[in-house]
Amino acid sequence: MINFEEELKKFHLSLEVEDAEEAIYNQDLTDMADIFVKMIKDMDHETTVHNESKRQIEE
Amino acid sequence: MICYNCGCRLSEHDFCTGCGADVSVYKRIMYISNRFYNDGLEKARVRDLTGAITSLRQSLKFNKNNIEARNLLGLVYFEMGEVVAALSEWVISKNLRPKKNIADDYIEMIQSNQARLDSINQTIKKYNQALLYCNQESLDLAVIQLKKVLSLNPKFVRAHQLLALLYISGEEWDKARKELNKCIQIDANNTTTLRYLQEVENMLIPEEGAKVSSKKKNQTKDVIKYQSGNETIIQPVNVKESKGVSSLVNMGIGIIIGIAIACFLILPARIQAAKATINDELRVVSEQLDAKTATIDEMEQQVNDLTEQKAKLEEDLEGYVGTDGALQATDKLLLAADAYLKNASDIVTVSEYLDEIDVESLGTSASESFTSLYGTLTGLIGPELAKNYYDEGYSDYRQEKFASAIPKLAKAYQYDETNGDALFYLANSYRRNGNDDKAKEAYAKVIELFPGTEKANRSEAYLAEMNNAN
Repeated sequence: MINFEEELKKFHLSLEVEDAEEAIYNQDLTDMADIFVKMIKDMDHETTVHNESKRQIEE
Repeated sequence: MICYNCGCRLSEHDFCTGCGADVSVYKRIMYISNRFYNDGLEKARVRDLTGAITSLRQSLKFNKNNIEARNLLGLVYFEMGEVVAALSEWVISKNLRPKKNIADDYIEMIQSNQARLDSINQTIKKYNQALLYCNQESLDLAVIQLKKVLSLNPKFVRAHQLLALLYISGEEWDKARKELNKCIQIDANNTTTLRYLQEVENMLIPEEGAKVSSKKKNQTKDVIKYQSGNETIIQPVNVKESKGVSSLVNMGIGIIIGIAIACFLILPARIQAAKATINDELRVVSEQLDAKTATIDEMEQQVNDLTEQKAKLEEDLEGYVGTDGALQATDKLLLAADAYLKNASDIVTVSEYLDEIDVESLGTSASESFTSLYGTLTGLIGPELAKNYYDEGYSDYRQEKFASAIPKLAKAYQYDETNGDALFYLANSYRRNGNDDKAKEAYAKVIELFPGTEKANRSEAYLAEMNNAN
């Protein structure tokens, strides 16, 4: 049995044309590729730091 | 595909030929994104727009630079009436790839027509207003607003769904089904639409439930289905309408209903109008009747007065007129005069005629000549006539024949008023005959006219005696 009140809660206000610009700016465009690249870069950075600290210890 | 590290074009190898970076995972991410795009495209082709949106969003989560996926997502949004969402995707797409991007055409298509843009904006505003009405429980206003929205943007799936939900809330199942069918024609696999439709179908045929499938098979044999625009026409086959008896029954029912309407609605009004007319006429007739009754009463009064006058006149006339129509008193007086002239000694005949004249009843109406002639005759025969009457009367008195004596003594006194004895014996006769009133009257006359005489003294004595006796 459909509950009208509950179903009504699932409907949300539509964005008006004037609000489209703000919506576009606020949209989170981060994708898996970004996350992957960031992970790779972070890993490279950690590796570099680790290698430098190891070299300093050896020296 | 380009290297995320150096921007070189990648080859079939799992490393960048430019910088040597490991691109195996990166390539895999791109492949997944493309896979989702393909899936979304397949779904869009079969109008599973909700499924297409899900796949294309997944695709963009893996690769935001998948321009085809983003443009297609915008198209799908646009098809579902979500114009602002579509514009957003196309604007982002255009920003990501400013050149050779079909999103440019889409944006141009919308922005070039200001009226269309305004219409879109109005549609969104009205939809939002309808949603506010729903939250304020003004469902009727919401329905009106949503109908306006759908007249401007017939592909707005969310508006169709909300309208269907309102119809379901109002238990207008047929209307709800109609809206949901329109939703399905736009977006074939929308979960919300299908859920609502299932509810509506259950409410429309709740008892059939499990038998639906088997019946549908039978129905397909018995009916012809075809599409006419947005409507599905179901025409029964080999079904004959029973025209004979049912037509007669329907006509009978129609006639009965007609008669009932006439009896309960038309007739009372007609009867009321007729009653009012009759009452008015009755009032007018009553007024006329009252007026005529008053006239009749007045005329009856006049008739009574006239009848009385007539009776009085007749009575008066009878005094003057005899049975033969001649004037009685004048006639008798002339006869008396004629008898006297023929034989002056025949006073009996003359007196008989004169006696028939009632002098008292004539009163003042008698003419001067009549009175004069009557007086002359009376004077001529009076004394002798009076003597005769007195003699006869006194003789009867002496023989105690009082009844016979009374008229004779009365005549004697009438013709000779100086004859006190006649009056005295008349009074005695009255007394002895039992006429006390007349006797008293006569005694009083004797006392008055002949005072100091023996007759007066005796009259006083008799009168006193009679008064004492009473």
